[in-house]
Amino acid sequence: MTEARNVSAAQTDAVAQTDAVQPALSVRHLTKTYPHADRPVLNDVSFDVPKGKVLVVLGPSGSGKSTLLRAIAGLEPIQSGTIALRGEVIDEGKPGRLTGRSKRASALRTRIGMVFQSYDLFPNKTVLGNITMAPTLVLKRKPAEAREEAMQLLERVHLADRANAWPHELSGGQRQRVAICRALIEHPEVLLLDEITAALDPEMVREVLDVVLELADNGQTMVLVTHEMRFAEAIADRVLLLEDGAIVDSSDDPEGFFTNPQSERAKQFLGSFEYKRHEATA
Amino acid sequence: MFDWSFVARYAPFFVNGALITLYISVLGIALSIGVGFVCALVEIARIPVLRQIVRFYIELSRNTPLLIQLYFLYFGFPKLGIVWSSQTCAIVGLGFLGGSYMSEAFRGGLQTVPQSQYESAYVLGLSKWQTLRRLVLPQAFSLCVPALVANVIFLIKESSVVSAIALADVMYVTRDLIGMYYSTYESLFLLIVTYLVILLPISLFGLWLERRFDYERR
Amino acid sequence: MSGVELLMQPSVMPRLLSGLWVTVWIAAVSVAGSIPVGLVTGWLMTRRNVVVRFLMRLYLDFIRIMPQLALLFIAFYGFARLWNWNLDATGACVLVFILWGGAELGDLVRAALQSIPASQYDSAYVLGFNTWQTYTRLIIPLALRRMLPASVNLATRIVKTTSLAVLLGVVEVVKVGQQIIDVYRFRCPDGALWIYGAIFLMYFFICWPLSLLARHLERKWSHD
Repeated sequence: MTEARNVSAAQTDAVAQTDAVQPALSVRHLTKTYPHADRPVLNDVSFDVPKGKVLVVLGPSGSGKSTLLRAIAGLEPIQSGTIALRGEVIDEGKPGRLTGRSKRASALRTRIGMVFQSYDLFPNKTVLGNITMAPTLVLKRKPAEAREEAMQLLERVHLADRANAWPHELSGGQRQRVAICRALIEHPEVLLLDEITAALDPEMVREVLDVVLELADNGQTMVLVTHEMRFAEAIADRVLLLEDGAIVDSSDDPEGFFTNPQSERAKQFLGSFEYKRHEATA
Repeated sequence: MFDWSFVARYAPFFVNGALITLYISVLGIALSIGVGFVCALVEIARIPVLRQIVRFYIELSRNTPLLIQLYFLYFGFPKLGIVWSSQTCAIVGLGFLGGSYMSEAFRGGLQTVPQSQYESAYVLGLSKWQTLRRLVLPQAFSLCVPALVANVIFLIKESSVVSAIALADVMYVTRDLIGMYYSTYESLFLLIVTYLVILLPISLFGLWLERRFDYERR
Repeated sequence: MSGVELLMQPSVMPRLLSGLWVTVWIAAVSVAGSIPVGLVTGWLMTRRNVVVRFLMRLYLDFIRIMPQLALLFIAFYGFARLWNWNLDATGACVLVFILWGGAELGDLVRAALQSIPASQYDSAYVLGFNTWQTYTRLIIPLALRRMLPASVNLATRIVKTTSLAVLLGVVEVVKVGQQIIDVYRFRCPDGALWIYGAIFLMYFFICWPLSLLARHLERKWSHD
C-alpha cells in the first residue's frame, strides 16, 4: 500500500518536475522562407513559453509576427528548426517543403488553439454550432456535454443569450469572443492570438481584451501578437521584439521593457507609438 | 377578333407541349448537373490531362449554339454509326451544353469559400473530409445557388430549340397551330402563358432559395 | 465522295462562307443596334420615377423569361399581323436581337452605374470637378470598365443566338449548309456530319476569341 502510494507520489512529482522544466511551448531555430522569396521571413527564431505564462510578440508590420504564429499552428511549413509542446517535438523543419500545411494529426492540432484577426466563424453554423463542432467531431465528446461546456464559456464572455444567433448577426467584438470560445473548448495547451482586435471598432476592443486578461489570470498559456501597447504591457510575462524575421530583443520584465527600454531597437520601436508636436522654440 | 374558344380548345395541346419541354429539360438538367459536378471536381483537384480535356469541352460547349450542337448530334452522329431518337438526342445535347455552365457554377461556389475557413478548421483539428462535408460543401452550395437556378432557367429556355429536331414541344405546337389555322394571336398568347407558367414559379423559387441559403444575409 | 472531298468542292466552302457572312451581318447589326437601346434603357433603369422603373423592369423581365425562339415567333408572326408589317424573317431577327440585347445591355449599364460608390461623386465634387468633368473623366470610364467584360460576353451570346434565324427561314450559314447536304445527298451520304461539323467549328472560332477577350478584360480590370 505504502509502496504503491509512494510510486504514484513519485510519478506525480515527476510530472510536476517535467511541467516545471519543460515549457508549454518551445521553438528552436525556426526558419521559414516563402516560395519565390530571396530571404527567410523567419530566421533562426528560438524561445520558450512556460506553462501559464503569456508571451507577447511585438514588431513592425512585415516583421514576421503573424507568420510565426501561423507556423506554430501548423498553417505554414517550416524549413528548419523544431516546435515542441511540453518537450514533445510536434513539427520539424523540412528544407524542401515550401507550401502546404503541416501534416499534423487532428489530435495534435487540438492542443494548440488559434484565434484570427478576421474571426473566421463558420457562416453556416450558429454561435453554439461553431463552438460545439470541434469537440463533438474531433474530440468525440457527447453533444449534450459539449453544449453544456459551450454555454458555460459563452456565459464567461457574456454572450449566453446569443447562443442561437448566426455569426452575421453579431458585432465584430461579439464574433471575436465567440471565436475565443471556439478555441477554448478544446482546452488548448497553448492559445495563439493573432492581432485579434485589429479589425475591431475601437469601442469593441475593450470587451475582447477583458476576456483575454481574464484568461491570463486563470493561467492560460498564450502567445499573442498585438498593436495595443498598453494591453501588451498589462498582460505580458515575456516580450519578444521581432524585426525582419529575427528576434532583436526580448525581456522577462515587461514593465521595464515598456517604461525603460534598454536596447536601441526597442527604444526605436516603442518610440514609433509616441506623438510629439514639433513646436518652434522661441 | 381574339377567339377565346380557340384558346380553350387548344390549351391541352400546349399542356402536352409543356410536358415534353419539361421532360427533356428535367433529364437534360440532371445530366448537366452530373457532368458539371464531375468537371468542377476535376478542375478543382487539378487532375492532369483530364483537366485539359475538361477545359477543352467547356470552351467547345460554351462557344457554340445549342441548335448546331443538336443538328450535329441528330443528323451528323448517325453517319458515325450512332443512331439515336430525337428525345435522347435532345437530352444529350442539353446535357452537353448545360454541363459546362453547371461546372462553372460549382467551381465558382467552391472557389469563393475563403481560405481562412480551411485554416480555422485545420487549427480546430477537423479532418479534410469533415472540413469538406461540414463546412466547404454547405457553404459552396449556398454560394452557387443563384448560379444554379439561373442555369436551370437558361436550360429550360434553351430547350425551346428541340422543336428543330422534330420534338413536339411548346414551340412545335405553336408553329403547328399558326400554320394550320392561322390563329396567330391565340397561339402566341398560349405560348407566352405556357412559358410563364413554367418559368415564373422557378424564378420566384430561385429568389426564395437564394435568400434562404444566403448565410451572410439571412 | 468522302466528307473531306465534299468540303473541298469548289462551290461548297464559298457558299458556306457567304452564308456565314449573312450570320455575321445579322449579329453585327444586332450588336450595333443594342448599344444605343442598352444605354437608354440602362439610364432609364436608374431613374427614380416609379412608373419608368416599373416599365423598364417589365420590359427586362419579359425579355429575360421568354426563350429567344419564342420572342422570334412573336415578332415574326405576331407583329406582322398586328401592324400589317411586312416584316421579313431577317428583319424580325434583327428586331428581336436588338430588343433582347438592348434589355440585357441596359441591365449591365444599370449595374455598372449603381456600382460606382457615392464617394466617387463626392470626391469629384470636393476636388472641384464640374458635372461634365465628373462624368467624362470619372464615372463613364469607371462604368465602362465594369461592364465591358460582360458586354463582350453578351455579344458572344448574340452571335450564338443568330443560329435561330434558320428556324424562321433566313438563308444564313445553317440554311446554306442544309441546301448543300440536300444537293449532295446521294453523292456524299456523310455530308451532314461534315457540313454541320464545319458550321459548328465556324461558330466556335467566332465566339471563342470573344470569350477569351472577355476573360482577359475581366482579369485585367478585376482589381478595381
